[in-house]
Amino acid sequence: MGNEALIMNNVCKDFKVLNRHEGLKGSIKDLFSRDYKTVSAVKDVSMTVERGEIIGYLGPNGAGKSTTIKMMTGVLEPTSGEILVNGKEPYRNRTQNCENIGVVFGQRSQLWWSLPLIESFKLLRDLYMVPQKDYEEMIELYRSLVDIEPILHKPVRQMSLGQRTLSDILAAFLHNPAIVFLDEPTIGLDVSMKDKIRALIRGLNKEKNTTVILTTHDMGDVDALCRRIVIIDHGQKIYDNDIEHLKSYFGSYRTLKLKLADNTWEEMLIDEKTTDVMDVIMEKQKEKKITDIKILEISTEDVIKKIYEGGTR
Amino acid sequence: MRKRGLKFYLSIYRKILIQDLKSKMSYRADFVISTFGMIMTNLAGFITFMILFHNFPTINGWDYYHMLFLYGFSLVALTPVQCFFDNNWNLRFMVQTGDFIKYCFRPVNVFFYFMSEVFDVKGLGQLAFGIGTIVYAWIHIGLEVNVLIILKLILFLFTASLFMIAIMNFAAATCFWLKGSGYVMVIMFRFKDFAKYPSSIFQGVFKVIFTFIIPIAFIAYYPSLVILEPGNVPLLSWLSPLIGLLFFFASYKFWMLGVRRYDFTGS
Amino acid sequence: MNPKRLLALTRGGIMESLHYRLGIFVTLFANLIYLVLVYYLWKAIYDSSGTDVVNGMTFSDTMIYLILATALFNFLEMFVVWDMSRAIQSGKIVLDLLKPMSFRKYTFWSYTGNHVVQFVLTFIPTFIVVMIVTGGAIRMGLNLLWFIIATVFALVINYNIEMLIAPICLYTESTWGINIVKETIVLLLSGASIPLAFFPEKARIVVEYLPFRAVYDIPLSILLEKSGSDTCEGLLKLFGLQLIWLVILTVAGNIFWKIAVRRITVNGG
Repeated sequence: MGNEALIMNNVCKDFKVLNRHEGLKGSIKDLFSRDYKTVSAVKDVSMTVERGEIIGYLGPNGAGKSTTIKMMTGVLEPTSGEILVNGKEPYRNRTQNCENIGVVFGQRSQLWWSLPLIESFKLLRDLYMVPQKDYEEMIELYRSLVDIEPILHKPVRQMSLGQRTLSDILAAFLHNPAIVFLDEPTIGLDVSMKDKIRALIRGLNKEKNTTVILTTHDMGDVDALCRRIVIIDHGQKIYDNDIEHLKSYFGSYRTLKLKLADNTWEEMLIDEKTTDVMDVIMEKQKEKKITDIKILEISTEDVIKKIYEGGTR
Repeated sequence: MRKRGLKFYLSIYRKILIQDLKSKMSYRADFVISTFGMIMTNLAGFITFMILFHNFPTINGWDYYHMLFLYGFSLVALTPVQCFFDNNWNLRFMVQTGDFIKYCFRPVNVFFYFMSEVFDVKGLGQLAFGIGTIVYAWIHIGLEVNVLIILKLILFLFTASLFMIAIMNFAAATCFWLKGSGYVMVIMFRFKDFAKYPSSIFQGVFKVIFTFIIPIAFIAYYPSLVILEPGNVPLLSWLSPLIGLLFFFASYKFWMLGVRRYDFTGS
Repeated sequence: MNPKRLLALTRGGIMESLHYRLGIFVTLFANLIYLVLVYYLWKAIYDSSGTDVVNGMTFSDTMIYLILATALFNFLEMFVVWDMSRAIQSGKIVLDLLKPMSFRKYTFWSYTGNHVVQFVLTFIPTFIVVMIVTGGAIRMGLNLLWFIIATVFALVINYNIEMLIAPICLYTESTWGINIVKETIVLLLSGASIPLAFFPEKARIVVEYLPFRAVYDIPLSILLEKSGSDTCEGLLKLFGLQLIWLVILTVAGNIFWKIAVRRITVNGG
């Protein structure tokens, strides 16, 4: 086995769906219809993830992200192509594969709803057959990274969303898996909780050299955690490289912020190659009085927005 | 690779069960209501039975006490499906919302993990009710009592429960293929009400169907004949433990096939 | 309330039920098997009894009654208790309460679509099969019209029973328990599992004045012209009973729902 935690070669996934007709008449027609169409959710995606990497796996809604994650975790079988997780095909060895992965789906707890967290941990310890010594070490590590005391004896159903997410992430790392999949781990959380969760993920990744595959719509997560990102859209991989490299695509872009007389900030994205920043400011000044000016490097958020809108080339 | 054998699964189940019971104690209202519900269903079943016999003293040559025995037998045979496999009722919703996916991320058997999540205490009330009925009928019929017969009774009660579990597994697993299949479970659960009547009432092709396809005849009739008619036991009664295992295994395979087939588009 | 809006809900409900196409066929098939079970059981029962008529019911009377009761059961079946318990547990109930329509009305009208589909796909075929098999045991006359009216009343009464029980979900998570209690009581006392004619005299007198009878027994008695529904006076008596329960249950349901909603708003769902 090499140093790759995950390899995907030309992976495709098709779904068969019924062609639905509109309206009440259409519904009656569908009752007997055999008119299926094939939808390709993932088209020919290849990538390699090294051990210990944190990868941001991005794409607009419906791009095929969760289908990919489901294939990586062994829940779905690829229509064609090959996936290797820790050197094995996840779909063929689902149970074995599960020993080596951890999964968190934001907002969808996998813990026992009515049990205190510590009891869930103990059950997971037994399910994954984690030796007692390793288990205790892991709990110690958790203690050093976050303040788990207040939630340890609380049933999951009584936790706030933030505490629940935190618990789910801790549970996903408990058996020290080689790869952890985090699907929108910070969705719906407040700013300070987001920070806490990001720090926790970073800490666990550093301590245990765990590979993390992170899907998110929150660029704050990406900035805080990932060096490399993979972007897919319409089922196809459209980008796979460092964030910095991506930003250099848009190196000539600047975010221009102008403070107007009425104390509001106006923001615009400008390509320096085609437009002169000074011209824009002058033009604006004719309409309104400007009290302050800021020129910023393009943010990750803006880069991704540009890409989703189709601006890679 | 570490092996997960029967011992592992038993010990996990026991641990989950203990935790589950502990947490259930803290929701007393739920417990009271479901127990009340259980008593009500049993009472209603019993009343139906009494009304029937009030009008018709024998059915197909079976008198009141023999029928009562069959009734008690079917109640006890239903207990395991209610206690250990009750989560089947939630399967449809989990599949629809996509929440089912969480059961696929653990290094244990999905079927086991799913079923282990719910243990239903209320089935125990039915067990008591069923045992009481069997004992009452037993005394009135004047059946013999010895260790061998008791052992036989336990074996064949266990056999009967396998069939019921299998039927409910099949019914629940249809939701992997069919949306809106909730009714399948409801009607299958109602089919079990017919287990308490002697299956000799069926004729022709339906006799075959209700024996081998929807095995209602095995939920009480065939297994109980071993006890009720010791001098005249049909071959199918003796074979029922084997057939029961087959049915259970087939239903398990069908359930697992559903998990594989399901495309998890719900999430 | 704008009737167009209500009809839109009904139409949506119809489309949604048709969406589950295989489910519909499976339901039909499962019903057929269930009816076979019912047939054999009662055939054996009548064969063993030695007489053709028990409590004024012949074998074919009993069969028609039970078959149509099953068909009515499918057609009237609602999952309000389950829906509500899910809505409460997931917190979705708060969103439902915010809809620009009262929750009770909304639920009722979205279910009518399902009722229409079930009526066309399960009740009518069953009815036709029964008609053909029994060769005209059901008279085709005004009784059909009275039956339809009684069924609409039954539908509303059934809905109100559901709505009276569903809010209990706010106080417990044992949805199964609540639902099973409701179902067994309704099935037993409404005559869906055993025709009320078979009940012992004293029990029957009590059961005849309970609301459950109004759901299955009254429409079916009217259709089969039993229980004195062949006279004008008897018919009025049955409709009167339905109407009284309809009013009582609607009012009670409304009051209970208001109390329950207050609990949601107090506890924040």
